[in-house]
Amino acid sequence: MAGIRIDSVTKSYGGLAVLKAFSLDIADGEFVVLVGPSGCGKSTMLKILAGLEEASSGKISIGDRDVTDLAPGDRDIAMVFQNYALYPHLTVARNMGFGLKMRGTDAGEIDRRVNEAAKILGIDHLLERRPRALSGGQRQRVALGRAIVREPQAFLMDEPLSNLDAKLRVHTRAEISALHKRLRVTTIYVTHDQTEAMTMADRIVIMKDGVIQQIAAPDVMFREPANLFVAGFIGSPGMNFLKAKAEAKGGGATAKLFGHDVTLPVANGGALAGKDIVVGLRPEHIAAGPGQVSFTVAPRLIESLGSEQYVYVDLPEEHRREASAGGDDETRRTSLIARLINPEPRPPEETLTLSFDPARLHVFDAASGEAIR
Amino acid sequence: MRRKTTQHALLYAGVVLTCAILVFPIYWLVVTALSEPSQLRQLPPSFWPAEPRWGVFGQIMAERPILLWLGNSALAAIGAVTISMIVSVLAGYSLSRFRVRGGQSLGLFILTAKMLPATLLVIPLFGIFRNLELIGSLWSIILAHATLIIPFTTWMLKGYFDTIPRELEQAAMVDGCSPLGALVRVILPVSAPGLAATALYGFVLSWSDYAYARTFLTNAQGNWTANLGITTMKGEYISNWSDISAASILVALPILAIYLFLERYLVGGLTAGAEK
Repeated sequence: MAGIRIDSVTKSYGGLAVLKAFSLDIADGEFVVLVGPSGCGKSTMLKILAGLEEASSGKISIGDRDVTDLAPGDRDIAMVFQNYALYPHLTVARNMGFGLKMRGTDAGEIDRRVNEAAKILGIDHLLERRPRALSGGQRQRVALGRAIVREPQAFLMDEPLSNLDAKLRVHTRAEISALHKRLRVTTIYVTHDQTEAMTMADRIVIMKDGVIQQIAAPDVMFREPANLFVAGFIGSPGMNFLKAKAEAKGGGATAKLFGHDVTLPVANGGALAGKDIVVGLRPEHIAAGPGQVSFTVAPRLIESLGSEQYVYVDLPEEHRREASAGGDDETRRTSLIARLINPEPRPPEETLTLSFDPARLHVFDAASGEAIR
Repeated sequence: MRRKTTQHALLYAGVVLTCAILVFPIYWLVVTALSEPSQLRQLPPSFWPAEPRWGVFGQIMAERPILLWLGNSALAAIGAVTISMIVSVLAGYSLSRFRVRGGQSLGLFILTAKMLPATLLVIPLFGIFRNLELIGSLWSIILAHATLIIPFTTWMLKGYFDTIPRELEQAAMVDGCSPLGALVRVILPVSAPGLAATALYGFVLSWSDYAYARTFLTNAQGNWTANLGITTMKGEYISNWSDISAASILVALPILAIYLFLERYLVGGLTAGAEK
């Protein structure tokens, strides 16, 4: 096992830059998740790390070794692919032992390690089967097993759960986390699913257009998002954004939200006076009934999940942000979503009083999108 | 319900008609082989000889070196297919996997070679083989057949490799294989159906050649292929079509046997791209 250092790695295809100066230090035994929307460069970074793609510039070290120019097989890493990439002509046992065989490990040792990994993953009864005779979940375990038997310096996982059904995905997610706790092998895991990132990671690296937006522990990323993109990406449903103008008041700053002057939770409010801002409010920080800041709405739609309700409300025109080209989803731009826990059943046509605590608000610079604290 | 029955009846009628058109020449070849030469031109024709000449096969094998011809055809086909497969596996894999400048044009250029009629290449190839002193040698038709087979098999295999996920060889490389090692240890075993279909295509192409064998091997009787040998059974004034038909059946048998043997691979090989 070893730490990994990625130093200013860039990748361009012709004139198209898909990775821009990506730098990251990963501690030995850490579980890091690269997350972001399709095309943000996360899978490209993982392939560069594996040696399957060449970086345009930059340096990668695993442990003390500079592996930038090494072949994938010489990097001492193991990879789990989205479609598992099991060798269809080999049995499960030979699939798992293939990497060891390539390294000249003797047959007895291969058998021992394959059996040990198979026991850990509960697939020891499948060793003589071929991949086509396995279910999706079993294939996934074999792919993990193939990585484990190698005892590599690091595991690279490229959306390994995305081909599983929802229930199995939740189960396997927990198993991978448990496996990591047991083996403590440095792991870099790529996903576009923020729930996977939040539940599995020691640290999340969130990316957009080839650029790292924020690197933080899941809780920190949720509570203190660095910018509008991170705030909108992390959390389900994503954060509500309200356009507003900041005003100075008594050394602090306020903004008019739903007709109320609301004090903003920022340190240097005076500097914000007159500035265009975006106020962020998480759906779960809105409560039913009166509170510190209350407003009455006519819900457009109520989705009930039993233990919780999603209430969709049309945002007043003055709080709607401008539509950006290829940017936000139009519904999110014009709606506010409240996530009400253990709600009273109510008919959708009934007006509703909602409230929030101003201390829970997030403030962003409307021009740069950066968080203001 | 009635409409469905009519549709089925029309479908089966179509299948039976197509099979009849395809099978009739083979049936007539068998009838000709088993009939006395004197019965061949009788009117109305007989659809099955009264006394089939089952001994004709043994007789022509005793009279003519059919086994030698078959052996030469097999050597030429195996040689041509071996060379073609080595070249087209590497070329098809490269075209499928590596993006190089002009790669697509190069691929199309290879295919244009297939569009040239074989007879067009006979004279330049004759010149080349004469300089290499290969005229009369089986190597001449092995190399000539390879020039015919490679363009098509390269494209056939490229199409097959395109259906195999890249992650398979990436997994093999992470497991310690070189790119060539990943091809040999993972991609080729997975491609067995495609390779079988492609090899069979090349084998049939070589086996059924006449033009090249006639041009390059006429003066080397010991190297005659089956097709070339059979044509020598046709006399200047009299041709024994029964014997010629019997010899043709013997020549067709090995191909038939190979088809039957490889059938299960072929079905997989030819439909592999349809699943994506």
